[in-house]
Amino acid sequence: MSRITIDPVTRIEGHLRIDAEIDGGVVRKAWSSGQMFRGIERILQGRDPREAWLFTQRFCGVCTTVHAIASVRAVENALQLEVPLNAQYIRNIIVAAHAMHDHIVHFYHLSALDWVDVVSALKADPAKTSALAESLSTWKGNSRMHLAGVRDKLQGFVDAGQLGIFQNGYWGHPAMKLPPEVNLLAVSHYLEALEYQRKVNQVVAILGGKTPNIQNLAVGGVANAINLDNQATLNMEKLYQVKDILDEMQDFMRQVYFVDVCAIGAMYADWLGYGKGVTNYLSVPDLPLDTRGTQFDFPGGVIMNADLNNVQEIKTFNEPFFRENVTESIARAWYDGDWSKHPFEESTDPKYTQFEDNGKYSWVKAPRFKGVPMQVGPLAQVLTGYALGHKPTVFWANKTLETAGSIAKTTLTPAVLHSTIGRHAARMIRTQVITDLALKHWNLLVNNIAKGDTDIFNEPVFPKGEQRGFGFHEAPRGTLSHWIVIRDGKIANYQAVVPSTWNAGPRDAEDQPGPYEASLVGNPVADAERPLELIRTVHSFDPCLACAVHTVDVEGNEIARVKAL
Amino acid sequence: MIRVLGLGNVLMGDDGFGPFAVRVLEATYETPDGVEFVDVGTPGLDLTPYLLGMEAVIFVDTVKSAGHAGELRIYDRSDILRHPPQTRTGGHDPALKEALLTVDAVGNGPKDVTLVGVIPAWVATGVTLSPPVETAIGPAIAAIGQTLAALGVTLKRRKHPRVPDIWWAA
Repeated sequence: MSRITIDPVTRIEGHLRIDAEIDGGVVRKAWSSGQMFRGIERILQGRDPREAWLFTQRFCGVCTTVHAIASVRAVENALQLEVPLNAQYIRNIIVAAHAMHDHIVHFYHLSALDWVDVVSALKADPAKTSALAESLSTWKGNSRMHLAGVRDKLQGFVDAGQLGIFQNGYWGHPAMKLPPEVNLLAVSHYLEALEYQRKVNQVVAILGGKTPNIQNLAVGGVANAINLDNQATLNMEKLYQVKDILDEMQDFMRQVYFVDVCAIGAMYADWLGYGKGVTNYLSVPDLPLDTRGTQFDFPGGVIMNADLNNVQEIKTFNEPFFRENVTESIARAWYDGDWSKHPFEESTDPKYTQFEDNGKYSWVKAPRFKGVPMQVGPLAQVLTGYALGHKPTVFWANKTLETAGSIAKTTLTPAVLHSTIGRHAARMIRTQVITDLALKHWNLLVNNIAKGDTDIFNEPVFPKGEQRGFGFHEAPRGTLSHWIVIRDGKIANYQAVVPSTWNAGPRDAEDQPGPYEASLVGNPVADAERPLELIRTVHSFDPCLACAVHTVDVEGNEIARVKAL
Repeated sequence: MIRVLGLGNVLMGDDGFGPFAVRVLEATYETPDGVEFVDVGTPGLDLTPYLLGMEAVIFVDTVKSAGHAGELRIYDRSDILRHPPQTRTGGHDPALKEALLTVDAVGNGPKDVTLVGVIPAWVATGVTLSPPVETAIGPAIAAIGQTLAALGVTLKRRKHPRVPDIWWAA
């Protein structure tokens, strides 16, 4: 029995620590630990609920927009305030563009190099690579000339001893299995994706006023005055800038992202058998189509024990089934007590002890739904959508399974999605659907304005006494909910239950492991000093616990971050 | 094009130094042509869109270094990239080095990079700066001004300075 600790904490305060017990080259038990106390919600107490979104947007620098959206929805829910259609559509386009950006960054820049061996790409024949690419896609960037250029560029880095961003990978690791040509193609798309993630981010900037912290939201709507002929407002020119970018993005998603995930997934088919973990799934509906949040373009629901035949739908912004069944447990987290409470009733009183395998070991609370851990994120989104018969999700899921199956020369069913690779596939499936829906909501917005409707805002009014509200948003990393208690127009309590809390949370009083912990069990580990396999499974969730501070350590020396005992 | 980017979390005490300093800068000085001042928060690898195609970038951030709170440390590109980035569990850890190296890989990164850093006194939940770190804003802006001057850009004081938009500390 040996133990691996992956602990980036040594560099900067905070972040995710993973511990795994290894026996016979396989993970037997794992712990996921958030290493920084946040408790940022406490800053909100006593403030004006209309300003909460400005603060929640600063919880995390990557997930800015999603915390802003969830916050205004929570206050609107507390007041039962309707949101004008234009405001819903504008928010929806921002939400969709943000998700597209996030998913491209995650796949290409944050996790592709767990699967793609950059050094092996040097051995690729650009002509063969191009022929392979053209058999799968019509993308303009897949020409022999272009790919030869990418290979030469890589060779230049190697010759100069400057691998740059690629210096840090597990090159030559026995778990790296792609042929050189596929590696070269992926590196080429890694570089191209950088431009596309920048491009789609401009949609957020055009509508949101600024990135990364948007400025156009308001409790009750948006602040984008609409006048199609006025330079200073949301006008035709800006709307068509948005449309042009979305059209270009659709091409990239289809011809590059879809193909890459199918091909890489098919070539790592063994990873369809690892990383399953918790198979209870939770997602909430999003992209509202009416002013009250009763109809949506994305459905949400709950699946227990991978049973896709039994899905309970979450239907509206007022859904009692969601409101009443969320709790958080601190039995294994560094807070005072061992309670399990509803978010409205929670407090956040830190009490740090040490890391104890069988005691408390994380700053992350353990969210539960009906008392059990839930996996959230793109896989939950796709599986609940699939189970509910959501047509675009079913279409793209089937197309993905067929395409990957034909490359792998096997038949793939939705059951393979409960896996590490399945989470990457689901993220891509969700992205295809979001890309189409972004264009749909652009059309809805333009058509609604054409009807003469320029409403963007309903004034919130805060009655005396207490109101409670919850706002949810199906964010790129999964179900996000904000819970607010308002007393006499001021915030009395505020809690955010974030996607990475659902997934990265620790055990609870019943010793039920969280999704990260469960998903690592059974993973192979070929080399304990270079635990690439564990990184693969953890990255497949797109962890985001780390953004709360940004102190850089320029002078610090390389500190071993992987400890194998 | 040159960008001055304030990095840090405004809800975490001195970590908010970068955004704070950039907002004082834009309230006190005219924004020169071809220059942008941006409070970027804690974007992780999402910093890359702000670096692509830039001639020069000046970061303002808190730094870990031996010394007293409020002392400035000025680093250049080679200082920042001297030690390689490390394997990250979360994909979104603070990613200054990674973002610079990523835009370099495309060949479209900034040639001149300066980090104006301050040593923090405390980084914990809170919306105000500690006194020594708040005092460092003036010297940090002076350092930004010198860096811009070396790039051929002059900072001009506003005739009518604005009140800095530090909305979180209000």
